[in-house]
Amino acid sequence: MDGIAWAGSAMTAARTRLEIATQNLANVSTDGYARVGARGALTPFGVVVRRFAMAGHGALRRTGRDLDLAIVGAGAFVVRGSDGSATHTRAGAFVRDRDGALRDALGRPLLAGGRIVRVPEMGRIDERGAVVGPDGRTVDRIPLAPGSTIRAGFLENAGVDAIGEMIAVLAAERSFESAQKVVSAIDRVREKSAGDVARIK
Amino acid sequence: MDRALFAAATGMAAQQQNLETIADDLANADVAGFKGSAQRFAELVAPGDGGIGTVALGSHVMLTQGKLAKSGGPFDLAIDGPGFFAVVDERGKRAYTRDGSFERAADGTLVDARGLRLRDLRIPAGALSVAVSEDGTVRATFVDGTRAIGRIALAEFPAPDRLNGIGGALFEATPQSGTPREVWPGSETGPKVHFGMLERSNVSIVEAMMQILGAQRAYEANAKGVQAADEMLRIANNLQRG
Repeated sequence: MDGIAWAGSAMTAARTRLEIATQNLANVSTDGYARVGARGALTPFGVVVRRFAMAGHGALRRTGRDLDLAIVGAGAFVVRGSDGSATHTRAGAFVRDRDGALRDALGRPLLAGGRIVRVPEMGRIDERGAVVGPDGRTVDRIPLAPGSTIRAGFLENAGVDAIGEMIAVLAAERSFESAQKVVSAIDRVREKSAGDVARIK
Repeated sequence: MDRALFAAATGMAAQQQNLETIADDLANADVAGFKGSAQRFAELVAPGDGGIGTVALGSHVMLTQGKLAKSGGPFDLAIDGPGFFAVVDERGKRAYTRDGSFERAADGTLVDARGLRLRDLRIPAGALSVAVSEDGTVRATFVDGTRAIGRIALAEFPAPDRLNGIGGALFEATPQSGTPREVWPGSETGPKVHFGMLERSNVSIVEAMMQILGAQRAYEANAKGVQAADEMLRIANNLQRG
């Protein structure tokens, strides 16, 4: 790889960093959103930035709605996606349907062991994930990771630090600019060698 | 389209919608029985290619109990617990509300500020005053004594979260909410009616102001993202000097 290719890979890397930062910033209000991290690496093909899912969760905020559920600890809710496959989410703003099914904000039903969880009218979810009817009997259970609990009346904020992402936006922009300067400098040197040094009088 | 530019633009659009929802809550914060809404968001995902922005999914009504407060109105009612007052307009169309600030109309019916009538109740002409007990029984005082003149039933829905808000504290039934059933208030576990009180809106003005600030800043941050993506494109275009 020559100098221009190296600097060019740095420009692409800065570009990817900006994409990741804007993606995180765009989802600053998305409940249960897990931040995407950027990891830079030096490879034989230049600088490469890869995306990876960040561990760690957002803070809980109180909503007071009984079917707003937040997971304290690891794990996620399992919902059935529109294509029929099981999908994991930590966004727990559920709405109860007429038939008792709990659907998340995207309309996906909450599952327990592959079945749709049904909550009776006036039912509630306790901290161990048990679906408790108005008569106090447990009628179903939302599976949880060991040691995790559910808090009803709370939602998990996006795990995005807006200030950190803003800095990442600025850093990516400047890094892109510097790499562009390097490309231009190398280009000028080459122009000189091609146009001036080799000139025959 | 440029990925960073697109992601930042979706963020701006989503926060715009967020602001509209919060502004609507604030505008109705003084309406008795009003229920605030919350905007929901989801990550936009390109299959096999990760997240490419965000999308606002629409506002979602928060049916939490508002605080009950003593009020001055002679026919004010508040619901403690689930359920709605069933009201009808002059054409007989039904709506449901928790705003219990009723007044007595010329024909003896109780009407709300928009002229919607509380169903199945008419106060006789000779009544000097009325009182409503927790179980919804309406008693009127006449010159010759006090008599029960009716009972207020509440409407409960199989899926109240699916009701459609039609402005202010009014809702209408939808196929998803199911058909309402009449519930008599005053039972051990069910709702109760409080006379001489109103349910305040469940919107906290302080909280809504904080949310507005947050949404504004998030909007600005995404706008900066748009600027940065644009600036990068400009720099890239300058690579080829004329």
